[in-house]
Amino acid sequence: MGLFGKDAREILVSQMVLISIGIVTGTILAMSTDKILLVPGMLILLPGFLEMRGNISGSFASRLSSGLFLGVVKPDKYRTKIVKGNLIASFLLVLAVALILGIIAFLINLFMFGIFSTRIIAIPLIAGMIANAIEIPLTLFMTFYFFRKGHDPNNIIGPFVSTSGDITSIVAMLIALVIV
Amino acid sequence: MSFPKKHPAHRHLRRLTKLKRKHYHPLIHKIHKEHNISKKTLFYVKEYGPHSNVPRTILKESIRILMFASLISSFGGLAIENIKSLFIAIVPLVIMLPVLNDMIGDYGTIISSRFSTLLHEGRIKRDWWKNMELRRLFIQVVSISLLTTLLSSALSLSISAITGYAVNQGIILKIVTVATLDVLVLVCVLFLVAVLAGIYFFNKGEDPNNFLIPITTSIADFGNMIVLSLLVMLLF
Repeated sequence: MGLFGKDAREILVSQMVLISIGIVTGTILAMSTDKILLVPGMLILLPGFLEMRGNISGSFASRLSSGLFLGVVKPDKYRTKIVKGNLIASFLLVLAVALILGIIAFLINLFMFGIFSTRIIAIPLIAGMIANAIEIPLTLFMTFYFFRKGHDPNNIIGPFVSTSGDITSIVAMLIALVIV
Repeated sequence: MSFPKKHPAHRHLRRLTKLKRKHYHPLIHKIHKEHNISKKTLFYVKEYGPHSNVPRTILKESIRILMFASLISSFGGLAIENIKSLFIAIVPLVIMLPVLNDMIGDYGTIISSRFSTLLHEGRIKRDWWKNMELRRLFIQVVSISLLTTLLSSALSLSISAITGYAVNQGIILKIVTVATLDVLVLVCVLFLVAVLAGIYFFNKGEDPNNFLIPITTSIADFGNMIVLSLLVMLLF
């Protein structure tokens, strides 16, 4: 296989999609800086919250991909113990990590800037639940879909998850800001 | 993996799933030799087999590293929070922020998952730096990252110009320099970290998939905020 064979093309194509969607997310962010920055400490929370999607859904997709390549997970069977276990674990991990992020931002706000605001704990938790409901099932279906189509999900799902996760996360965060 | 109940491999696989997760057991080697089942499959059966609690295994292995990643990311966010007013004024960089974060994180994910697969398949030997597949992966990722950085810079500058931000030659040069340096430095750091941490966790008998992605993405995230903050302070 050449240096820039099928693998490189898959990465490049997925990155092109990522850039297009990422620029849209960035434009939404640039347009809503006034709303997001109203809550003190949101910039402390934002990178971790955006990254959480990639961390959890990325590992989820990677575990499924390994299982698919090994033949332990079947690409046409969703209701197996491994798949269900992975789904439950990913849902629980998002809730736990969102809570941790909120607590860290709360503590930094309190001890470094002298601001007491419990909203900063509630926002990632609510936003995490909203984003989770969309992102985790989407990751599962897309991993199986790409595998069935003969692609290596390892090359595609990472960019896909973080890009779609960014838009869902930013929108979920804006919804959570309205709710809280 | 399904074998008839009377098949010797069935009995061996049942024993394998009951082993303590962290123990490397000679049974793995025995089943591998006797029944010609690959070691990577046996590893997967041991971790997520019919008698293991899949969510508990994943939660137990992932939660600590994710907590660490959250802490790191929050400190990265703190760096940007400190230059909030300066940063927000540079509209092309605000537009590029999610792209840069994702792009660097994605390269971390790609490097991690591809390297994990190479480890599981036994293609990484002690002298990993001589491995041709690893070298190929590095050149691929660096070349693609350069190309995509230039493209995303062009897009964010164009959108900024359309929305009324004053884009001139100086700004173009600064934005392209900041983005390119940021991506190049971090891709090299991520590659080194993924390889060293991957070998470490694999040798410990853990699945590198559960560790490498959170580690590399949080380094990407934290590093991106720090390098970006430094470059913004230096150039703007």
